[in-house]
Amino acid sequence: MSETDSIVICGLKKSYRKDLPPAVDLQEEVRIRKGELFGIIGPDGAGKTTLFRLLATLVLPDGGSATLEGLDIVRDYRKIRTLLGYMPGKFSLYSDLSVRENLEFFASAFGQDIERNYALIENIYGRLKPFENRKAGKLSGGMKQKLALCCSLIHSPAVLFLDEPTTGVDPSSRRELWENLAELKESGMTIVVSTAYMDEANRCDRVAMMKSGRFLTVDSPSDIISGFGKRLFAARSDEMFRLLQDLRAVPDVDKCYTFGDTHHFTLRDCSHADAAVLASQLASCSGHRNVEVKEIRASLEDCYMNLEEK
Amino acid sequence: MSSFGYLFIKEAKQFFGNPFMPVVLVLLPVLLMLLVPLAANMEVRDVSLSIVDLDRSSLSARLSDRISRSGYFVLKSVEDTYGKAMDQLSRGNVDIILEIPAGTERAVSRGESVEIFIAANAVNSTKGMMGGGYLSSIVSDFSSEMAASGGNPASVPLRITPQYRFNPHLEYKLFMVPALMIVVIILVGGFFPTMSIVTEKENGTIEQMNVSPVRKRDFILSKVIFYGILGVFAFTLSYLIAHFVYGLAPHGGLLEIYVSAMIFLVFMGGFGLIISNYSDTLLQSVFLMLFFVLIFMLMSGIFTPVSSMETWSQYFTYILPTRYFVNILRSVCLKGSTFADLAFDYIMLSVFAVVINIIAVVTYRKQN
Repeated sequence: MSETDSIVICGLKKSYRKDLPPAVDLQEEVRIRKGELFGIIGPDGAGKTTLFRLLATLVLPDGGSATLEGLDIVRDYRKIRTLLGYMPGKFSLYSDLSVRENLEFFASAFGQDIERNYALIENIYGRLKPFENRKAGKLSGGMKQKLALCCSLIHSPAVLFLDEPTTGVDPSSRRELWENLAELKESGMTIVVSTAYMDEANRCDRVAMMKSGRFLTVDSPSDIISGFGKRLFAARSDEMFRLLQDLRAVPDVDKCYTFGDTHHFTLRDCSHADAAVLASQLASCSGHRNVEVKEIRASLEDCYMNLEEK
Repeated sequence: MSSFGYLFIKEAKQFFGNPFMPVVLVLLPVLLMLLVPLAANMEVRDVSLSIVDLDRSSLSARLSDRISRSGYFVLKSVEDTYGKAMDQLSRGNVDIILEIPAGTERAVSRGESVEIFIAANAVNSTKGMMGGGYLSSIVSDFSSEMAASGGNPASVPLRITPQYRFNPHLEYKLFMVPALMIVVIILVGGFFPTMSIVTEKENGTIEQMNVSPVRKRDFILSKVIFYGILGVFAFTLSYLIAHFVYGLAPHGGLLEIYVSAMIFLVFMGGFGLIISNYSDTLLQSVFLMLFFVLIFMLMSGIFTPVSSMETWSQYFTYILPTRYFVNILRSVCLKGSTFADLAFDYIMLSVFAVVINIIAVVTYRKQN
């Protein structure tokens, strides 16, 4: 491994039960650089959480190996635990302890005190200060998330894992969290984050799209978008639901899905139809009114939707 | 601070930060010790008695007087035929009938023996049996006194004198109270740590601990020791109530009692850990725990004597640690037994504590 790699995964496999397909089944080698903000996106059940749990030394892999900061996840788990911050998707702090008590407890669990690394969490904890004596269980969702982040940062980890940190958090808190992550990244911390929001994935240096325990693609968001090899259209009409069904019936259309207030669809490779032809076809054959069809540039979400069912 | 230290402090903060748990810790032993022995009393008092006096002599009057003064019986009615008394009995107004046959005084003065008839309603078997027992012992006392005072010692009828040692008045309370002290230990020393560990599992906080450098050993020990101390506290509370309210342990050595309580707490801690190893939810763990605790309580002589069980289940009690613990508590409290007298029970209890904790550690390791 090179000096600049923080996480190196050399194939990694984990099955929970013999009669089920493996939860994680990475076959290629994945390297995550030091100070990289690495995103993992994938549908529910893709194996994101299991991958985190494997790397966080909570479960043992069935095959393959991985290192964090040069330490093996099986052999050197004890050392890894001192330099790893892990924030699980589910709120898992002591809800019957106060904000301050939680922070103090997690600091002492790592043999630290709050003061030493306070600078690291100052920005985040500042928002929690007024609620310092409130029980953690009584905080709002966004505040809980902030506290959880503080608790996983209090020992100044070299590597930070965040499992869906923004699920169920309001948009402004989400934005704040990503600003915080950007700051942490500046300090040289390696951050791996899983998310279901594509706009967030855009903020990552690189993104892995995960499905059925495998990485389908690992690349920067812009490269993923430019690698989108199909023509993509957006369509709308007065009857959106019928439009979706009618679009799916058009032979030229490959995949069609709702996207905000429009429907996006791709064409089959052999098709040469263009937006105007498709629009008039929908208006005349299916009787749609106010049909609008235009060719658009793919976004990360389009890439995700088209990858998913490969 | 050592990791054990702050884990212990965290445990204390969680426990005492909860408005409910400290109250339970105090109320549980207090209510259990104060209410249950009073309510669940198997002592027989105030047995309703009907006397059928067919003799109508001074002797029968003296006997009736003697019985009603004993304190165990309430003389409900004096009937002149057995049939009327039986009527009362079947209506439930009367528990026991004593029939003094005609000519008793004359027969006794002649030195003949007379049969006095007792009929007891055994629907409430304890009351019937114990009441009948009391009554016959009063009657036989009376008859021997009479024989002695009549200057005719040869005619003293042969009789059995049961002597109830260590609990002369057959007070069920004294039998019950040590049992309740065990229940307190089981609830505090067994349920509390199990529930605490499983709650951490449910909330996912145990995962946060697992990704930290905190050792599992310290994590578990902090709980078992913290709740062990609470167990000792609750046990002390119930011991004080037993002593000052029920006058228990006039003979007992404190050291004997506390050593056995400590060993039993270690057992319960390990046992609770095994339960928590195999359960993922609070509900699961509480049901599992309850299942075993019921067996511990109902099958090991805590509430009913081992000697009155079926033979196979008497052997079964040897694998229940509560059998040894209850035996130690009763022997020390009622008889004033010492370590030497109870060596077998102490050894068995310790063996259980060690074995169960080894199993607990092994099953804990197997996870993940």
